[in-house]
Amino acid sequence: MPVEKKGSLEGQVIIITGGGTGLGSAMAFRLAEEGADIVVAARRLAPLEETAAGVRKRGRKALVVPTDVTDTGQVNRLIEKTLGEMGKIDVFINNAGIVRGDRPKTLWDITDQDWRVGIDVNLSGAFYCSRAVSKYFAERKSGKIILVASGEGFRGQRNSFMYNTAKAGVVNLTRVMALTLAEFNIRVNCIVPGFVDTYDLQPEATQKLMASTRATWRLFLPVGHMGKPDDIAYLALFLCSDASDYITGGYFVSDGGGLTGGFATTGYAPVVSLMEGLP
Amino acid sequence: MTAKAFLVKDKIALIAGDSKLWTKPAAVALVEAGADVAIAAKDTPRLAEATEAVRKTGRKVLAIPTDVTKAAQVKTAVRRVVAEYGRIDILVNAGDVHFFQPFLKIRNAEWNKVMDYNFNSALSFCRAAGKQMLKQKKGRIINIVSGLSERGMVNGATYCVAMGSVLQLTRVLALEWAMKGITVNAVGTGWFAEADRPIDEAVARYIPVKRYGEPDEIGSLVVYLASDVTEFTTGQLMFVDGGVMAHA
Ligand SMILES: NC(=O)c1ccc[n+]([C@@H]2O[C@H](COP(=O)([O-])OP(=O)(O)OC[C@H]3O[C@@H](n4cnc5c(N)ncnc54)[C@H](OP(=O)(O)O)[C@@H]3O)[C@@H](O)[C@H]2O)c1
Repeated sequence: MPVEKKGSLEGQVIIITGGGTGLGSAMAFRLAEEGADIVVAARRLAPLEETAAGVRKRGRKALVVPTDVTDTGQVNRLIEKTLGEMGKIDVFINNAGIVRGDRPKTLWDITDQDWRVGIDVNLSGAFYCSRAVSKYFAERKSGKIILVASGEGFRGQRNSFMYNTAKAGVVNLTRVMALTLAEFNIRVNCIVPGFVDTYDLQPEATQKLMASTRATWRLFLPVGHMGKPDDIAYLALFLCSDASDYITGGYFVSDGGGLTGGFATTGYAPVVSLMEGLP
Repeated sequence: MTAKAFLVKDKIALIAGDSKLWTKPAAVALVEAGADVAIAAKDTPRLAEATEAVRKTGRKVLAIPTDVTKAAQVKTAVRRVVAEYGRIDILVNAGDVHFFQPFLKIRNAEWNKVMDYNFNSALSFCRAAGKQMLKQKKGRIINIVSGLSERGMVNGATYCVAMGSVLQLTRVLALEWAMKGITVNAVGTGWFAEADRPIDEAVARYIPVKRYGEPDEIGSLVVYLASDVTEFTTGQLMFVDGGVMAHA
């Protein structure tokens, strides 16, 4: 078999939540280059349209479906709309999440509502989406679901209650989904990014928020630099393609060695909390 | 299964260690993705078979009969690859002998043999090839391990300790060489079909995807980790296991 052909996503339909900005848009572009048609879903329309334009520029079909993943009704509509317009779904990538929240609150200031929002966006949304799309995948007896967790899901972080708890939940949601859906030939895997510099893929307002933290994040990484969005996009490509057909329930870390050490200050890991560096 | 981005065109790969399961598929997958390979393993019909499988693809292959448990022979093998190809871009440690006995029944000689094949060989190859990669300021080391590098199993003392050692070596080298252009990762494996061994149906039922893996199915992950797009991925263990490790 000619190697260049294998692993290609020619004609596949892939939904990416949070596909308007950052890693989601990077994935959209790479996967489109490999031949996939892309559906992007998030709340803000403008960034979604921008990603869609980038996908079309690469010669593939793109569909924009404004969606809040914390609302099951909207999630179901996303699936219906995609099936209506694109005819099928091959892969669903749960990438939506809130990375840069508001200024962190101290433990005692976090309200029930804060807690719910943090868990809803970063964990419940992935559950609602996976539940909805897996029903279709199960009938079709094939499909791939990808979740996006974070290195934070494997470790603690001072004052980061909702994000770290929710992302840990995403890792185990991956396993439970994988075990439950294996019999329907559905593969479920989890991408675990470390610190990836998405500055260039953000709207201006977000760029301003990121500017002050960008310089310090690399100090936490053994490789001495932050990741590029493509590091994660190519991992997504690997997990979308038939290259990973015997792989399920796994997590795939790309983090510059961040999770590998962490027992001592190695010279790369300053003894400060990342949260305190946030604006 | 190689997308264009994962191709390892004209890179030099050294597959080290004799394994019933991994040596041939790792070599063939890398060659199909564009690499030239050398295979350093014990001089058995298996080495000849792996070499022949690669040769059939039309790419260059160098078979180096090596007692991988002898550090001096490993050094010589690595020197030979560099003499022949000029460099080593990818090292795959594929050594894997199976041995399961109750702890108190294991003889010293048996313990040492399993450690030698499954761990010390990888250690020697990382030393010798790592030196070369440091000179190049670039390299990919991929250690193939079992799920028993992370989990325990009854009667598995020496095997689990050897595999766990490879995993810890993977992590430490990843950190030591993080700023030097070398990534070090492990491919974790589950239950795979061996040509000369019947499939255990009870085990197959236990595997979430309900079948053993075919050894070829590790190839795509080996190639992915060997490729240029994984420079931010290091110190990791990634499984090809049909979901086994997701179990309680
Ligand atoms: N970049 C990193 O270093 C890093 C590290 C670890 C993990 N991650 C994870 O990677 C994923 C992408 O992050 P990123 O860095 O690319 O950040 P990002 O650019 O902020 O992307 C997050 C996306 O999620 C969308 N989103 C947020 N809430 C949503 C909701 N309720 N419904 C639908 N969409 C929603 C956002 O769009 P709208 O606001 O328009 O809805 C946004 O486009 C996240 O899950 C994040 O946790 C990133």
